[in-house]
Amino acid sequence: MRTSTLELDGIRKIFPGTTALDGVTLRWDGGNVHALIGRNGAGKSTLVNIVTGALAPTSGSIRLNGTAVSFHSPADARRSGIAAVHQELSLIPELSVAENILLGRLPQKPGMIPGRVDWTRTHRHAEELLSRLGVRIDHTATVGSLPVAQQQLIEIAKAMADEPSILLLDEPTSALSHQEAAHVFTLLRTLAERGVLIIYITHRLQEIGRIANTVTALRDGVSTPSIPIADATPESIVTMMFGQNIRFSRMVDRPAGTIPVMEVRLLSGEGSFYDVSFTLHKGEILGIAGLLGSGRTELLRAIAGADIPGSGELLIDGKTVHPHSPEQMKRMGVVLTPENRKDQGLVQMLAVRANICLASLERSAVNGFLSRRREKRVAQAAIRDLDIAVPDLEFPVSSLSGGNQQKVVLAKWLNTHPRIMLFDEPTRGIDLHAKLQIFQLIMRLSAQGISSVVVSSELEELMDICHRILVMKNGRITGSFDPASSSLDELFGVCIQ
Amino acid sequence: MILIRRLQHTFLEIILVVLCIALAIMAPGFFTTDNLLNVLRNVSMQGIIALGMTSVIIAGEIDLSVGSAVAFAGCWAAYLTGRFSGWPAGVAVILALVITVCTGFALGAFAGIIRSRYGVPSFISTLALMTGLSGAAELITNGFPLTPFPAWYNIIGGGYLAGIPVPALVFVVAFFAMHFLMNNTVFGRSVYAVGGNAEAARLSGINVRRIKILVLALTSTFAAIAGIMQSSEIMSGTATTAKGWELDVIAAVIIGGTSLTGGLGTIRGTMVGMVFLGVIINGMTLMNVSEYWQHVVRGVLILGAVLINRMQAQSAATRFAGVGR
Repeated sequence: MRTSTLELDGIRKIFPGTTALDGVTLRWDGGNVHALIGRNGAGKSTLVNIVTGALAPTSGSIRLNGTAVSFHSPADARRSGIAAVHQELSLIPELSVAENILLGRLPQKPGMIPGRVDWTRTHRHAEELLSRLGVRIDHTATVGSLPVAQQQLIEIAKAMADEPSILLLDEPTSALSHQEAAHVFTLLRTLAERGVLIIYITHRLQEIGRIANTVTALRDGVSTPSIPIADATPESIVTMMFGQNIRFSRMVDRPAGTIPVMEVRLLSGEGSFYDVSFTLHKGEILGIAGLLGSGRTELLRAIAGADIPGSGELLIDGKTVHPHSPEQMKRMGVVLTPENRKDQGLVQMLAVRANICLASLERSAVNGFLSRRREKRVAQAAIRDLDIAVPDLEFPVSSLSGGNQQKVVLAKWLNTHPRIMLFDEPTRGIDLHAKLQIFQLIMRLSAQGISSVVVSSELEELMDICHRILVMKNGRITGSFDPASSSLDELFGVCIQ
Repeated sequence: MILIRRLQHTFLEIILVVLCIALAIMAPGFFTTDNLLNVLRNVSMQGIIALGMTSVIIAGEIDLSVGSAVAFAGCWAAYLTGRFSGWPAGVAVILALVITVCTGFALGAFAGIIRSRYGVPSFISTLALMTGLSGAAELITNGFPLTPFPAWYNIIGGGYLAGIPVPALVFVVAFFAMHFLMNNTVFGRSVYAVGGNAEAARLSGINVRRIKILVLALTSTFAAIAGIMQSSEIMSGTATTAKGWELDVIAAVIIGGTSLTGGLGTIRGTMVGMVFLGVIINGMTLMNVSEYWQHVVRGVLILGAVLINRMQAQSAATRFAGVGR
């Protein structure tokens, strides 16, 4: 297989209202694994979409082996030898490994009846491909019966079926454990040795050293120069991702209380988090630093009653509680703003007013009867308090921007007068101004004695707003961290160890 | 813009008025008190069920068993009245009706429990009920109409009060009750939330299972009431009555603008949809259109209504949905 070079020159992509990429210039050579890192919203997925032909750049050029190319569709890019493995698995669990690998191009038998699948050739092809890649998986097995790690290998094999020279992987290990990820790395190294150019996007920074040859970051739509992995230190990676002068302004202005309000004792969720213990104090803002797949979301869901935990104990005000439904935990004053507000936080087709009152219906109703006037008053108060930009209370909540939708989620919960708020990635995909307002709200709640648990992969945010940060890795709490007396570099070091 | 939105909201009403005017001119005998009351009586029994069905469909579920439930309720009421024949007629009938209504509630709740506890889609559980209840009605009656009712029993389904058919009065009362329930109570709002996004509703602390069980139980109760009125009108419990009503009922709900994917719809829309369907069928009958053609027209109506709704949804993009809820 020939080795390719991929050069990006001044790639810009402007969406209505935002500039996703603002001049990305990079050169990647075949035979290497190139890590691409960056915070949420840095433009990584936009770049993947441009390289794989799903989006056209606003300006700038792509050169493949020195010649300029422009792709009109992902199929176009595939024909030029560029394949991608996306974050979500695209396999059909009910079909066999061989069928999945050759889906859409199953070999056919010649003859009178069109479209007759040649099963002999299908299986031979699949078997050959898998053995060529050194993947030992039974090609007749049903995909759904295999562990996720093997499914990820099959996904990569499928992408390699027509021998692309460039392979992009978007967080291929996000659902895998440390050990499982090793299988994927072995396969990627085999491919790189054969000259394939691999672009590896990841949130798990500790992986970079295990797999990549070079590392590049995207920051606010601009690329940093690519550096060899041997030269990369935790400090230099922080600088690449966050910029030279980290604006570090701690917002926390008062100490946390000392009265424990919630105690988590050896809580475990099936296959997602293990023996988690911590104590939350009155008015405390507790951060949980953890990457995608670290079990952080599952932990919050278990505490909020959304999932039933496997074992362990939860104490609220010293009394044992068995969380079994969000309804029950809401009554206890424990509420969760979920990571995915669109699907889990709001009923998109209902009016803004209805969404703001959604969790407090019993509270705002008299004997089960709603009063629209009272609802309107409650909604208007929330809109004023949280500075939500709403053209009309009666418009469906889907008409609001991400930041304003998140504020509606918060308003929904504040109306229930909670005592403990669990935030799962509260600032994902929202603009800076809204982000700041949400932090200020968390501070205000803390001053009122309401405690918060904030999960985030944005470490510097946690540094700004938390009294204390727990580090969560592979489903376990691996450390506790005092943001007041340490630096972002140190926290980062603890996280990627 | 506001005018266009107004128009969209009253689109069906406008067509209904136009249709009535056209029929008043073209169909002999359409615009007479007798005929209009007749239309009202005809739509009332299905209409009561359609009101309940609206809440089921808004909650993202479906109930296919209502036609069989009507037949079953009639037969069950007749059977029970017969069994209680040793008692004074009034006591026997009232007892039979109370038990029948409770049975209706229990059957719907059963389908709802199967749905929310075991995850069996309501399409399946109510399909099973549809067949099962149809068979049960035959078993109860042994294939022959049961006629144990005293003469005064006819008032419930065939009588008049102040010149208006009793079922129509029940329909109107049920309409206002359901309208209030869906718009002004915690329960109604929860139904919209569950149908709009069940997971978000659950995480907001709404008991999704209970809501799903209750809407199915409610509709099944309405079907039992309609079944009682039907048995009163024909003065017997007959297993073969009300065949295919589920389709008319669902058609009326859809014509009324309720979305089959849940979360969207109004009781008022269903009321208009039901009357619309009744007027068109009555008009065609008066104009001697063959029954076969009537079925074709019904099909076209359902499809047309859904297409219009979809186009409105697309053109209004994010603006129209949920407004006023």
